[in-house]
This record gives sequence, C-alpha cells and structure tokens, in this order.
Amino acid sequence: MDFSWSEEQAAFRKEVIRFAKQELNDDVAKRDREEEFPVEFWKKCGAFGILGLPVPQEYGGGGADTLTTVCALEALGYGCKDNGFLFSLNAHMWTSELPLMAFGTEEQKRRYLPKLASGEWIGLHCMTEPMSGSDAYSMRSRAERKGDRYVINGSKTFITNTTHGDLFVVFANVDPSKGANGVTGFLVEKGTPGLVLGKKLHKMGLRTSPMSEVALVDCEVPAENILGKEGSGQAIFTHSMEWERTCILASHLGMMQRLIETCVKYARERQQFGQPIGKYSAIANMIADMEVRLETGRLLIYKAAWLKSQGRHALREAAIAKLFVSEATVQTCLDAIQIHGGYGYMAEYEMERDLRDAVSGKIYSGTSEIQRVIIAGFQGL
Amino acid sequence: MSATEQTPATQSTLKDQIREFIQVQLAEPKGITTFTDEESLMETGVIDSLGIFRLVSFLEEEMRVRVSDEEINAETLKSVNTIEELVIRKRK
Repeated sequence: MDFSWSEEQAAFRKEVIRFAKQELNDDVAKRDREEEFPVEFWKKCGAFGILGLPVPQEYGGGGADTLTTVCALEALGYGCKDNGFLFSLNAHMWTSELPLMAFGTEEQKRRYLPKLASGEWIGLHCMTEPMSGSDAYSMRSRAERKGDRYVINGSKTFITNTTHGDLFVVFANVDPSKGANGVTGFLVEKGTPGLVLGKKLHKMGLRTSPMSEVALVDCEVPAENILGKEGSGQAIFTHSMEWERTCILASHLGMMQRLIETCVKYARERQQFGQPIGKYSAIANMIADMEVRLETGRLLIYKAAWLKSQGRHALREAAIAKLFVSEATVQTCLDAIQIHGGYGYMAEYEMERDLRDAVSGKIYSGTSEIQRVIIAGFQGL
Repeated sequence: MSATEQTPATQSTLKDQIREFIQVQLAEPKGITTFTDEESLMETGVIDSLGIFRLVSFLEEEMRVRVSDEEINAETLKSVNTIEELVIRKRK
C-alpha cells in the first residue's frame, strides 16, 4: 500500500489548483444568484485538459488513470469555488464520456469522444423521470424499432447540462415486458427533431449548473445510435453510477479542505474573551472533527478509485464513499458556518453557498438512503 | 493467490459453489426457495440490479475472475449454467 501521490501527480495537483484559483472563480456569487452557467470556464477546462482527463489519448483525451483523475478533481474542488460548475463537469465525464468509452462502438467513440474531451461538446444523460427516481428502471420512456431507426417517447426530469448540452445519453425501454432488461441507452444529438427541452428547474444549490426537463416526442434516431445493445441500459447506467459515485465527490474533498483552512485561519484570528476562539475546545474540537471527516473521506474515495484503476468493480466501496463524503461535506459546511457565527451565515462569506451546494450530494447519483440499501444489500439484507 | 495458482475446482464443484451463493445470498432473502440451473434468474426475480453486483463481487472475490462491464448483461449472467460457463471461460 502506498498512500502518497507520485511526483508527477503531486505536480499536476498543484498546477490544477493554480489553474482553478486563477481561472475559475470570477463572479461565482453573481452567477449563483443569476443561475448562469459559465461557458467560458468550460472552454478553459477543455483547453487545460480536464474535461477529457480519463478519455484515452487516441480519442483526444488525457489518458489519465482513475487515481490521477480523482487527484485532479480534488484539486479542482479546492481551487474552484463554483461547485455547480464542477457538478456539470462531473456529469459530463461520468455519464457521457465513460459510458461511451465502455459501451460505444469504435465509430461512436471516434465521432463523439474527441468533441467531449476538448470541451467543444457537452455531454449528459437522461435517466430520471417524474415517476421514477430511486426506482430508476421503472421508467415509462419507450423506444420502438422501426426499420433502421428507433423512435423514442417519454419525459425526463432533473436533467443536468441540458440547456448547453450537445450529446444526450437517453435511456428508454425497448421491451417493457422484460422490465429492467429492456432498458436501453441511445445517443441523441442536440437538434434531433423530437428532442425538446422542457422548463428550466430552479435549485436550492448548484445553481450555476443548468437543469431542466426533457421531453422525447417521436424522437427518431438512427439504429446505429444505440449505445451497447438492446437491454444493456441497466449495465450502462450501473457502470455510470459506479464511476460517478466513486469520483464525483472528489471535488468535495477539496471543498472540505478549503473550508477547514478557512476555519483554522478564522479561529486563530478571531478574538473573544481575550483570546483566539481556536483556543476554546468547543471550536478546536469542531475543526478536529472536520479534519477526521476529510481524511476518512479521502481513504474511502481513494480506495474505490484504486479498485476501478485495477479494473475491478467497486459498487459497494463507491456506495460507502458516496454516502460518507456527501454527509461529511454537509456537516463540515454546517460546522464552518457555526465557527464563523453571524459572519458564516452571511452570503458574503460564501459558506452558505457551499452548504446549499453540498446538500444535493446526499441526493444525486443515488440518495443516501439508496447507498445504505446497497451497502446493506451486500450483507445479504 | 492468483487464479492460476488455485487448485482447479471441478466443474460440478464450481457449479455447486455458484448455486449455493445464489441460493443463500440472493434467492432465500427474497423468499425464493427453488430454481433450476437453466432458469433465467433475472426473469424469476432471483437477481435484481443490486443482485447483479453482489454476484459480480462474488465471482471476483471468491471465484477469482475479472468480469468486464460488457459481460454484465442478461445473457451472460442469465442462469447458474451461463454463470458457470463464464467462470470456466475466464479461467482458461
């Protein structure tokens, strides 16, 4: 076991932090208020090489291993205060690039991956429906084969990246009599007739990440746009979720580290009753607990990422990491606000935004309750 | 210990191990007491979406074979017989 980053990874980490601090923090509060997705940041991340980090070099990506990608995402979370933007970036990576890499045909990979890796295109997936959230495979969307095409009908909700998205990975059932085994993935390009963006959704947090409903109204796609085979949607979605749950909260590790450093600085400087508040055990203990949560979260995410880098499955480990880190981040945000007292509650101090952003971590990519179901399920319960 | 270092299990032993895992870990908790080696475990509800990954973990950790993402599908993991075939194929 080796818990240290290689020299190359450590240098890359520093470079990502420098890039994020310098390039990705302008007007976050304003964009959060106005729910504005920073397109120019996306282009910068594409040019820097972040967007295609796990994509093989032959398809225009960085060819980075899973741990290096996690290292970079953690660094992004530390350097970039725009959690909504990072959420969009993660959705792009784990729910469009990764499934294409694993299930796409050679032609599909050559057609789409270079555009996704460079940032020219934005990817997303459409799974959740108004009546199927945690019970994702009970979806009502249908796809019917008609000659050399599929015709998709259905409605999706809580879909990330839609308004700026170019490649939609849409899940629909080709044979409801087979239940989950009929669920199939399709690649649908922006502008395809019948792919209709619904109302924009306004969120508590992650407000710089666009979200809306999506309707598929007799949406026709060529048969070659199927991702994998008929009925492999369950495998694709589980694959996406396993990767996403392993990696998506790496940026939360960075966020937690940033919050701890902010709190330590404040606890040393803020004087009450004649001494820094960090001298009071009530404050010091809170910071110690924040540090324990961060280090525990790191171990869990790194282990899940290591398993994936070994080509092994990590559904259980990813569920544990996702559950722990999402809940740890919310608690760390609450503690950071508490330590800062009245100032922490003010929007100007930006911690309330981190809290609003962090709450969603307990919901997306499978709620905390679903992660517990998975973990208990592995115990035969 | 790598797969090649293991004492090769006979095919009947291998099938017994697979069947026992599915019986005890996946079927019985759902109240399903019997299933045949040919039966589609997904269609009969023995294996659900979580069960697939518990099965894959079992194959990787206990049977010492790596299961690729493409192999996690309704055909390869359909029945005790197809799962056994997968393990034998992967061990070659």
